[in-house]
Amino acid sequence: MLGDVLLIAEKHENAAKEILPYILSNRKNKFMIAVSGESGSGKTELSHVLAKMLRKEGIVCKPIHIDNYYRIHPLERTEWRKKNGIETAVGLGEYDWDTIYKNINDFKNDRVSTMPCIDLVTEQVDQLTTDFKGVEMIIVDGLYAINTEGIDLRVFIELTYHETKKAQVVRGKEPQNEYRMQVLEREHQVVQSLRSKADLFISKEYQVREAH
Amino acid sequence: MLNDILLLNKKHENAAQTILEKVLDERKGKYIITISGEVETGKCEVAHMLGRLMKKAGYKAKLLHMDNYYRIPPLERTDWRKKHGIESVGAEEYEWHLIYRNIIDFRSSEKSSFPCVDLFTGQIDHITTDFKGIDFLIIEGLYSMKIEDANLKVFIEMTYRETLEEQKLSGKEELDEFRMQVLEREHQVVQSLKPLADFYLDFDTASEIFHF
Repeated sequence: MLGDVLLIAEKHENAAKEILPYILSNRKNKFMIAVSGESGSGKTELSHVLAKMLRKEGIVCKPIHIDNYYRIHPLERTEWRKKNGIETAVGLGEYDWDTIYKNINDFKNDRVSTMPCIDLVTEQVDQLTTDFKGVEMIIVDGLYAINTEGIDLRVFIELTYHETKKAQVVRGKEPQNEYRMQVLEREHQVVQSLRSKADLFISKEYQVREAH
Repeated sequence: MLNDILLLNKKHENAAQTILEKVLDERKGKYIITISGEVETGKCEVAHMLGRLMKKAGYKAKLLHMDNYYRIPPLERTDWRKKHGIESVGAEEYEWHLIYRNIIDFRSSEKSSFPCVDLFTGQIDHITTDFKGIDFLIIEGLYSMKIEDANLKVFIEMTYRETLEEQKLSGKEELDEFRMQVLEREHQVVQSLKPLADFYLDFDTASEIFHF
């Protein structure tokens, strides 16, 4: 996304250091990592730090933020959700999975790819064109990222939106009001329903542990 | 740039606020602001804050970062500069025709493409955007004051020697002997172009004092 503000902290660096061996020991071409977690849990920060560490190991890794793939444009999303009811509208179906899988396919096949890229300042959806040739790994980060098929390592951050409220206000990405709280509660339910897919958990204290 | 880290603080917000007030006062139609100054002086941060404030005020602003417009990609640049000598460092390193084309597209509300460096992969991606409905174009870069067509040319009054701490923090480039030569050369070029600006930002002498 363009114009995103990341607040990177030591805990992100420490968690990434612990996740790294799981990637390196299973290293193969076109390895896919997914990071799921609720709003403000640090998905993008963790992905950023992880990609940086992989680069130091000589691995070319591109983060893919699936928040760029909402079907409904950011400016229209609130209206659409209110009209269709939060229970039905908020969730997995909000994402354009066809395009997500098309881009993942481009990655697997070393192709030039065009992906949506939200500009948070203009609130437009721009198009990002990139060449996946030579890109060895991707990190798919987003609320429901670990639901994506074909992922080699699934990371689940256990922080809920209650704990991350402060971080969200500082970030200033979304307005904080009652409607937003309803959306967060619904997203929370959907995210938590995906827990069983995780390979690695990151606790509320940002400690890494294996799922099984 | 994709995957870049900004260090934002109150002085950037204050500076952006002052620019915003001046700009809203005098603008009619499409308006271009350039922000120039030496390395890590806060060009990107001020541009970002300005975009944010404009969004809050109900306007649409697009940011262009001149670091995306180098002819030589980041990973090859040091070698290229060493090969061609220190005098090759300067304004000619940029693809000005691409910037001017973006400016033309902005003024005529067209779709436009611009390069976007991915700092993780080292590759140059491309972003395609629509300038229709965009009120402001904010262009930040070392030598952005050269853009004659700009309505307001902001210059940040700091030198690279004062920003060595920020440079170390950003971790973008190693501060070895050659880098210091490059910085000195860029400093000379920036200072020689300074008279082209028309609004000078001085963070040092109290954050509230900005002169035109």
